[in-house]
Amino acid sequence: MSEPPWGPVHRDIVDLLADHPADVPAVVDHLTKLQDMLVRLPPLLDSCPLADFNKLYLVITSTVLDGLYADRFVDPVFLSRLDVEFAARYFDALRLWSDQSPSTPKAWACLFERMRGPDARPLPSAAAGVNAHINFDLPFALVTTFDHLESEPVDGSDQHRDYLEINKIFAEKIPSLRRGYLERWQLLIDMLNGDIDDWYQGELIGYTRDVAWRNAQRIWRCRHDPHRHERERRRLDETSAALGRLLLSPLGAFLQ
Amino acid sequence: MASDVDRTPLVGRADLVATMRAALFDSVAPGNTAAVFLTGESGVGKTRLLREVGEQLGDRGALVLTGSCLDIGDASPLHPLRQALRRLDADLAPAAAASIRSLLAVFAEDPTGPDGAGALLERVSRGLSVIAGGRPVVLVLDDLQWVDRTTRQLLLYLLAGLGDLQLSVLAAVRSESLQGAHPLRRVLTELRRLRSVRVLDLAPLDRADAERLAAAVVGRPLDAEAAERLWQRSGGNPFVVEELSRDLRDGRYGLSDTLREVFLARVDALPRAAHRVVHAVAAGVEPVEHWLLARVVELPEQDLLDAVRAAVAHRLLAGSHDGYRLRHRLVAEVLEDELLPAERAVLHRRYAEALTSAPGELHQARLAHHWRLAGEPQRALPAAVAAAEEAERLYGYAEAHRHWSVAVELAEGLPGTDRAALLGHAAEAAHHCGEYARALTLLEELADTGQPVCELYIRRARYLAAAGRSALAEAEYQRALDAADCTPGQRATAAARLAELLLHLGRYADAGRRAREALALAEQVEGATTEVVLASAALGFSEAFLEDPDAGLAVLRRALETAERAGRPEDVALAYLHLAELLTGPLNILEEGVVVARRGAERVAELGLGRSYATRLLAIATNGLFRVGQWAEAEKVVAAALRHRPSGTDAVELLLARCRLSVGYGDIEAADRDLDAVATMLAGGGARHVIPLLTLRAGLAMWQGRHDVARHAVQRGLTETRSDDLVILAVLVWHGLRAEAEAKASRSVAVDDNAVRRLREITERVAGRSERAARPVRDVVDGYLALCAAEVSRLDGADPELWARAAAEWDHRNHPYPAAYSRLRQAEALLAGRRRTATAGKLLRQAYQMTQALGAVPLTDEIRTLAGRARVTLEDRSPAATPAVEGGEELAALTAREREVLAAVAEGLTNREIGQRLFISERTIGVHVSHIFDKLQVRTRVQASAIFLRSRG
Repeated sequence: MSEPPWGPVHRDIVDLLADHPADVPAVVDHLTKLQDMLVRLPPLLDSCPLADFNKLYLVITSTVLDGLYADRFVDPVFLSRLDVEFAARYFDALRLWSDQSPSTPKAWACLFERMRGPDARPLPSAAAGVNAHINFDLPFALVTTFDHLESEPVDGSDQHRDYLEINKIFAEKIPSLRRGYLERWQLLIDMLNGDIDDWYQGELIGYTRDVAWRNAQRIWRCRHDPHRHERERRRLDETSAALGRLLLSPLGAFLQ
Repeated sequence: MASDVDRTPLVGRADLVATMRAALFDSVAPGNTAAVFLTGESGVGKTRLLREVGEQLGDRGALVLTGSCLDIGDASPLHPLRQALRRLDADLAPAAAASIRSLLAVFAEDPTGPDGAGALLERVSRGLSVIAGGRPVVLVLDDLQWVDRTTRQLLLYLLAGLGDLQLSVLAAVRSESLQGAHPLRRVLTELRRLRSVRVLDLAPLDRADAERLAAAVVGRPLDAEAAERLWQRSGGNPFVVEELSRDLRDGRYGLSDTLREVFLARVDALPRAAHRVVHAVAAGVEPVEHWLLARVVELPEQDLLDAVRAAVAHRLLAGSHDGYRLRHRLVAEVLEDELLPAERAVLHRRYAEALTSAPGELHQARLAHHWRLAGEPQRALPAAVAAAEEAERLYGYAEAHRHWSVAVELAEGLPGTDRAALLGHAAEAAHHCGEYARALTLLEELADTGQPVCELYIRRARYLAAAGRSALAEAEYQRALDAADCTPGQRATAAARLAELLLHLGRYADAGRRAREALALAEQVEGATTEVVLASAALGFSEAFLEDPDAGLAVLRRALETAERAGRPEDVALAYLHLAELLTGPLNILEEGVVVARRGAERVAELGLGRSYATRLLAIATNGLFRVGQWAEAEKVVAAALRHRPSGTDAVELLLARCRLSVGYGDIEAADRDLDAVATMLAGGGARHVIPLLTLRAGLAMWQGRHDVARHAVQRGLTETRSDDLVILAVLVWHGLRAEAEAKASRSVAVDDNAVRRLREITERVAGRSERAARPVRDVVDGYLALCAAEVSRLDGADPELWARAAAEWDHRNHPYPAAYSRLRQAEALLAGRRRTATAGKLLRQAYQMTQALGAVPLTDEIRTLAGRARVTLEDRSPAATPAVEGGEELAALTAREREVLAAVAEGLTNREIGQRLFISERTIGVHVSHIFDKLQVRTRVQASAIFLRSRG
């Protein structure tokens, strides 16, 4: 028998993932428990590349939760549903990976694969997680949330304002990602050809989150067409995976 | 047509089948509903399991209805249900089939009344109940990822128990689809929390099972090398295992490594006629009926049968009694590259011609699809229009929108079509299915066709308001009012709608001004009663919020008179509704509000609007009666309202009202059932009702001593509430603080200091905002803030004064339930301070009388417990039967008080804690304890406790 994907904490993680958190406090609770498990993964304590992302995500989600309690957002119903749906996709990816399912999103698989591999540096690992979560998961989470609330992704709406408020949280919490990192990231993207270039369509982006919002609007328009929707999903998965692999490659060290 | 797929044994799923059978049938109590959602990747065997479990349940006497959802965008609403009924129809004797025909006829009828969507759900569930004839119904739905909205609503309605049908739903969802932005994701997240719902993930087979399946197909065990290759290639996916094993058995193994290659090889090996057959099926809408296939391929009968048989034998085609479908999506992909566009167009034309010559029920969508792909827009257009109208009849606005949009496209360049009318329909359907941006775009196109501008402004404003874009909507209404080509009637409409919008935005002065303007405009127009009612409501509420309740009330009373004189039922209903809401809401004139609501409900039922408006009015009456403390009456009203079989929001409000009563009564089972029903309905959307649901869940959890569950419900509510919903926030915060205080008192759950800190912060914020709010809002919020302050005092030293204030607040508002609760706590605080025990006794007796009158069992119990501990007599006469002395011989020597102390000792409490509980000093407890030791002849608390516990057996 080969070793299960989560090694000695496999059972714990599978049990945790059997539960599906349905509100933001529960999501924070879930991420906290997950963090405790991930840092116990071999070879060394605190050496898991995924833990670097999970920790960052936990900090951001906790800040979002504080913001919800502190009346920071205009439309908390939207924001909390989005937060839960967003997190659910991360947990789904982890669950698929636990089952060693071939349908684990490629965007995530490239980071998960590194858990056994050569030591990845913390910043690129966290960045690869952020990449998968924002470039791949976020647009779909947005569409599901809008659909459920019978609303739409419209620029300048209350929801859009709240969404942009999260950018501030990212900016507060990831000072190292904020400037130097993203500029260099942009530089990397510029060095590439083909798909990724098309994907960004020459837009000047401050944050990939804006791309996610645009992609959500794009998916929104084809959400009733299963075939086009599936094509869109694959496209985003491939592109995010390409970026993720890049971030985790030796080139990623350049970002550190 | 039998295909040999049926002969392959079901491997490795025995436990799962048993689990599903139990969840759906064996352990479902009569009258209850249940659901199992099976998720898994394609080929993992979902359909097979559905059939297996469906057959087993059929054998056990259930009525099993089987349908699948379609993946073409042109599917019509309720397709899976209609398909299931037709299949059943084909299986049954003509006599039994009559009830099915009559239900199928419902789908072809025109809707009646304003509550058409709800009426449709009700008629469908009643029809199903007739067909079932007392048997449990099992609805088996495959490919649920393609389900239409109407079917989705029907499922939730039935699962919530609103259809009065013992129903189990077994549905399969392709997990790949859930990875995208599928609406079912949210539905499943919400549903999986319910006790009656299971979401099961179907994993691929493990290696041993994969080999067993392969051995069963091949007819002998595989050698090690073949087994290894099979495992590598299939990953345990049963469909792939089966297909690869079949090639292995037939000696084709090794030629094709992937499933795609397997199918390619088989297509290549097909005879010519069979080739034609699979291409025809690929171009059709599955399942393709035999007669239709015959018309399309134009083969002599025997040749056709041979061709079909060959395609089935090569496992490219699957046949069942309702038609043919391709075995796998990959088959379609393989075939796709083989046909020239012209050849494909010919196939579509043949389909369209065949369908035209044999009109069937709801064929229009299919017809439009084929004509369009045949390249014949002038023939596709009327079919698309008919399909759109059909979809609208079944409230499938998403489908209708799609058909209208296709129609608009088709009309492009066709002479003699009314493009403006098509655009208008498309925009309205888009608006109804929540495609607001699209609706606005379509209106822009409509504007370009030279429509009168006034109507367009009003429509645009309406769409914008529905999309929550209030500022833009306001500007648009203003444009309508300013436009030169507006009629006085249109102006009155615009002003009345604008007033309503401003009221919702809380801009009462502006709303009042616009409402007056609207009333003045409406007076000049014959028959503008709707506008009068709308504007009066806006004016009435704005006056009430601006502290002139009498003026507001007078306006709405006049509006009701006007509506009655004009006689349009909807106007009368709305007038009653607004009047009752005003009285029971901001004005807090509850008794009168209840009378208006009940009289209105009767009147409205006479006018034929029982299901919709009467239930809404009765919900208002129920909540009013609950608050004034007439619970028994409230119970009757809510039961009467539910007999109207409401659906959607109306049903949710009534269930919440009934649940509120059950929580007050302490009927945990009934409350749980209603909460689950509401949660089921809300899984389809409806954020507005989530907070009341959570509040009730918290209240119920506290009666059960599950204070952590209560805390969690409150926390979820707090993170999903807008800060301007002051009343809702105040109620939640009170529940949160109460949960912490109860946790502290019961010592069963640790107090969460972090939560307390947050709750106190939010209390302060609510208090600050409340000062600036309108008076009616402030009044209610103050009542809850008084409760909050008093609960906080329970956490750090009881203050009877704060509870006295809370009691006074609620007495003043005439709500006995919270008033009785406050008295109980006031008495408790007084007793804890060992002060004024006489006052405490009086308060407890008052509270006891109040809760007895309400029937509030758990609260009465708490009062009794406290009174017992404090030795307060609640009733003048002692109860008829004297309670037997608890405990056996060994405790006989102890006094009643000593026995109480001993019970507390046995719980592990310290003398100090026992003193707090029994309201006597720590020293006195010490004396009691030493007496107990003497009498029992023991020296330690442990020994004393042991005797106590033994004596209780």
